Amino acid sequence: MRNLEKLLLEDPYSMDKQKKNLFFKNYLNELTLHHSDNSKEYKKLINYLGYSVRKKHEIDKIPFIPVRLFKELKLLSVNKDEIIKVLNSSGTSGNKTSKIYLDKKNSLNQVKVLQKIMNKVLGNERLPMLIIDKKIKNIDRTNFNARIAAINGFSLFGRDHTFLLDEKNNINYVELNKFLSKYGKNKFFIFGFTSFVFENLIEKFKMNKITLDFKKAILLHGGGWKKLENKKISNDVFKKKIFKKFNLQNIFNYYGLVEQTGSIFIECKCGYFITSNFSDVFIRDSNFNLLKDNQKGFLQLISLLPTSYPGHNVLTEDIGEIINTKKCSCTIKGKRFLVHGRAEKAEIRGCSDTQ
Amino acid sequence: MKKIEYLVGNNKFKSISRHPYNNLTCEFIYELSKILTNHPRCFEYPDIKTLAFWCRKKNIDILKSNFNSAQLRTGLGLVFHITPSNVPTNFAYSLLFGLLTGNSNIIKVPSKKFEQISIICDSIKKALKKKKYVQLKDNITIVRYSDCVEFTDEISSICDARLIWGGDKSIKEIRKSQLNPRSRDIAFSDRFSLCVIDVKSILKLDQYGQDRIIEKFYNDTYLVDQNACSSPHLIVWLGDKDSKAKKIFWNKLRKYIDKKYTMPNIASIDKYTKLCEDLINLRNIKKYKIYTNLLYVVTLKKLDFGINELRGKWGYFYECNSKNLDNLAKFIDRSCQTLTYIGIKKDVLKKFVIKNNLKGIDRIVPTGQGLSMNLNWDGYDINQSLSRIIDLK
Repeated sequence: MRNLEKLLLEDPYSMDKQKKNLFFKNYLNELTLHHSDNSKEYKKLINYLGYSVRKKHEIDKIPFIPVRLFKELKLLSVNKDEIIKVLNSSGTSGNKTSKIYLDKKNSLNQVKVLQKIMNKVLGNERLPMLIIDKKIKNIDRTNFNARIAAINGFSLFGRDHTFLLDEKNNINYVELNKFLSKYGKNKFFIFGFTSFVFENLIEKFKMNKITLDFKKAILLHGGGWKKLENKKISNDVFKKKIFKKFNLQNIFNYYGLVEQTGSIFIECKCGYFITSNFSDVFIRDSNFNLLKDNQKGFLQLISLLPTSYPGHNVLTEDIGEIINTKKCSCTIKGKRFLVHGRAEKAEIRGCSDTQ
Repeated sequence: MKKIEYLVGNNKFKSISRHPYNNLTCEFIYELSKILTNHPRCFEYPDIKTLAFWCRKKNIDILKSNFNSAQLRTGLGLVFHITPSNVPTNFAYSLLFGLLTGNSNIIKVPSKKFEQISIICDSIKKALKKKKYVQLKDNITIVRYSDCVEFTDEISSICDARLIWGGDKSIKEIRKSQLNPRSRDIAFSDRFSLCVIDVKSILKLDQYGQDRIIEKFYNDTYLVDQNACSSPHLIVWLGDKDSKAKKIFWNKLRKYIDKKYTMPNIASIDKYTKLCEDLINLRNIKKYKIYTNLLYVVTLKKLDFGINELRGKWGYFYECNSKNLDNLAKFIDRSCQTLTYIGIKKDVLKKFVIKNNLKGIDRIVPTGQGLSMNLNWDGYDINQSLSRIIDLK
């Protein structure tokens, strides 16, 4: 199988449509073959789903598996004893968690690709980092494994990590002022979950308690808008509020799944998520037929990274929409898309419980 | 207790036993039928119409005559009903069963505020206002609450019988609340149901007849998202395994649901995930066909002991061939509830039951009657279960 080394030398948004199509077609068929050769379960599944390993399929014809399958089954494409790390994610469907099995190579590639993408946002040097959360040791580990994973993952791109919240979730202005007086005059990095950023920076934060604003900061946030939708806060409003309050202009929302850690999507200046050299998206209707630009449907996500588990081509429960590139004034190469949250939970009839 | 909402009645519960099918109760139910039928919103809800039809005089009189009155029986007293969250009218049937058998009742309705529940409760209150039925007031308490174990504990400790609808998980949860040692627990657990179709019978029907069969099958399945305990999960085809009948049946069903059925988007993912799990884990799988996201059919290689664990929702069916009915018998276990049938004679089914010492199957009804509520349910004769014998010699 090909490896990512060559691609890692390039800019992460270097490929145009034609080049990417050809590259992805070759790469993904090989990757699918790799998983088929190394996971009995996956092989059985894709054979049934109509994938023939003898022929090269178009990218959108390669079978995708529902991301929820990682909650139901143990799927891996390497020997068990090569696994060095297991990622968990809690989801909304029941209490089951996804289990993602990583070997050394897969884990390393996640870091390398994330670095590539983050360098585009932060530049090449490690910046002082303010985290809109409490110290990891104070986070309840049973519920927020994905939160810890994200903080740990992004912490690699910062230094002198300072946590905004104390263990009681109050804003620690003393620590913050220390941080600002030391680093506030130069570029620094702020990371947090969207809902935490909103709650703490937009809602609770008292400006009279700090001496410097966040003008030089770069804010990266992700994790979904569910809590903010009820308050009718759009991405646009969110950005405006942050800017008005903190004079902070460099704000980036990201989108990613635990199942495809590393090849995350970062929004462009126009507010659209953009696919990189390592990722692709398709939108499908409820019969899983492809939808055109500007039509809403299930997001299918493709990542070149997963090698130790067959998560390279998954159908999510998130609703998304591909935006015609012409609508975006950025010149970065890649597909533009929006995420409209998770598909609504089903109300089923029948007689299965008594709540 | 503050979390308890009383839709009918109040917190003064009484344990009252009456003679089953006593005139006052029967007349009250006829009255309720009339009120429901004349309710301005009755036509909006087919399930209310069905309920009104069920409690009409004619049906109640049939039930009364079916009741074995050779024995001297009386109601148990206070019955606590815990009804399923997603069938809006089930609580009403449960209440009627309790009333007919001569009991006072506390009914817990779903926490979801179905319009049907308020229509039914309003109608009950209206009937109770009539002077004649005032004394039945103490027999009906309808409550809505969630997450109040204290209340479940209290009622469980004082009731004479408890009826739990709603599957294994709910039953286990509710059984943590202790009953009085003398009290009865009647629980409707998770069940498996199947449909047996004689292939020749489908071919013999004309277009109209086939369409009617599809409609009936739809009512047993899609009408409740295939999620009622009596909705079939498995279709067993009797006769020639290459029969055209299957193709006709599934294609007609597909056309019918395309026009009639909608399901939430996420159900498409549920079904696809289920299929992927089956493709990996189910050894007995021969092939599958996705007609549309509304209809998945998984074909099994052969009948085997695993069939009782098969479960589909939102139009996800398993199918299998069998040369004859008797071949099916040894694979039926105690989780099997309803066998619906198409094109098989009643006496053939009777012989099948008598000959084969079945471990399961509590109901055998023609396709289309899978969901019809009855006092014989899940292997219980509710007439007997909710009343007691007074042995007089």
